[in-house]
Amino acid sequence: MKQLIRSELRKLTTTNMPWAFLGALFAIAAINAFAVIAATDFDGSKTFISTEVDQQSLVAFAANGFVLASLFGAIAVAREYGHHTVVPTFLAAPRRHRAVLAQVSAVAVGGAILSMVGAGLTVSAVAISLPTTEYGFLISAGHVVQIVAASAFAGAAGAVVRNVGGAVTGVVLMLIVAPPLIVQLANSTASWMPNSLALVLAGVTTDVSGPAAVAALSAWALVPAGIGLVAVQRRDVI
Amino acid sequence: MATTMPTYQLEVTHLTKSYGDATVVDDLTFTVPPGRVTGFLGPNGSGKSTTLKIMLGLASPTTGHATISGHRYKDLANPAQTVGAIIESDAFHPGRSGRNHLRILADATGCSYTRVDEMLDEVGLGSAANRRAGAYSLGMRQRLGLAAAMLGEPPVLILDEPGNGLDPQGIHTLRDVLRGHAARGGTVLVSSHLLAEVEHLADDVIVINDGRLVAHGALAELQNSAALVRTTDPGLLATQLEQAGALTESQGTDGLVVRGMSLTEIGERAFASGFVLHELSSHAGSLEQLFLSWTGATPDDRDHTS
Repeated sequence: MKQLIRSELRKLTTTNMPWAFLGALFAIAAINAFAVIAATDFDGSKTFISTEVDQQSLVAFAANGFVLASLFGAIAVAREYGHHTVVPTFLAAPRRHRAVLAQVSAVAVGGAILSMVGAGLTVSAVAISLPTTEYGFLISAGHVVQIVAASAFAGAAGAVVRNVGGAVTGVVLMLIVAPPLIVQLANSTASWMPNSLALVLAGVTTDVSGPAAVAALSAWALVPAGIGLVAVQRRDVI
Repeated sequence: MATTMPTYQLEVTHLTKSYGDATVVDDLTFTVPPGRVTGFLGPNGSGKSTTLKIMLGLASPTTGHATISGHRYKDLANPAQTVGAIIESDAFHPGRSGRNHLRILADATGCSYTRVDEMLDEVGLGSAANRRAGAYSLGMRQRLGLAAAMLGEPPVLILDEPGNGLDPQGIHTLRDVLRGHAARGGTVLVSSHLLAEVEHLADDVIVINDGRLVAHGALAELQNSAALVRTTDPGLLATQLEQAGALTESQGTDGLVVRGMSLTEIGERAFASGFVLHELSSHAGSLEQLFLSWTGATPDDRDHTS
């Protein structure tokens, strides 16, 4: 299994794709810095960065890493099928659950690293740009760590949700389309949607408890992963 | 003296694969012995690739089974170091270098990076190893595929159209590699539409048409299994022999090439029907002629065989 995971990690690091995502994360960090330096509230003040909670909310923009990590994983696996590299993968690991678990593990690690880098860049960008304003950097070190860790978890979970290949394309579509529809039908479920749960983990909101958020976000990841794992066993590689 | 390797026999038994109402592989049974190169032939869409995919666990049979010395591919202790395969000629990420492509496979199969570099040199890609595989020519891609198939030093090779896009030197190298592999006791199954190449390469051939086995055996024996008959009324004799189960093909104005019937039986049937025979002899046909008679293809179809 270790060999397969190493192989999958090498797949992720031997194309230009990670650099493209890193570029996107730099852009997000730059937007944050620009907002701190140039943006104002309607009254011309900068109250949107005046408290720790405000700054936390701004930095939580790094939760975009969640989306990016999901895209990272989705593209990585879609390419696996599109370029037929899944053929040598399944030849090396004909018991496909091992190949899929290795793939999911690798993209989870990749997504987590990507999210952590994104969160780190955003926090750094805000910290560096705040001195240009009248406000200091108010986010405590503990909260910074929490944001980074939450981004990592969300990134990993997001990557897993979308990373069991073409077998779960339908499920992925359901995950993207379903949350807003569910919230429209039952407003009380809003707290249990992936983005809301990520914000809880980042300490921005407290809609649900931390452990509940971890459990719910894990479920969002693992249910479709399990469906994909079963589906890929039966599929002919044509 | 060349080192030998463990021997494996491939067995396909009553294999059938259907997609809905379409039967792609129909009750196929054959064996591929070690120590020989076996050519796997058939027209486009005859079920060759599907059969190979089932043998490699990439597709599931509807009925029947395919085994490697009694084991399904997925039950082999170390499949990638037992069987090397080329199934898709472009099974690589175009943005990844040839060396990294092989290193990924080496990671997955437990091979060393030294072996990666050895294989790159062996297939002549050493100088292009760090170039993006997407920029490789078709021939270079095939050589990368061959390097991938042989990375784990497997005793069994299952190769789908490995000669596609290779230049004459590449074909020559491929032939040497596969002949050498079989000489060391390896099992080689090669699907190809290059009939002349198969004629030079294969010891045995398996020919399928519409998913069914139409010929299987030693190529030399199959090539000599035909008879040439010269008679005053070849058309009438052909009709009678075909009714008895033979395949016939006219040869000139008075000749007839007959397959699927022994010289003795042809002579006896001709004598019983009162035909005057001017010649009855063994006839060695080219693989192309045999292929066309087995598959019922016309010469115009030759370019479309695979």
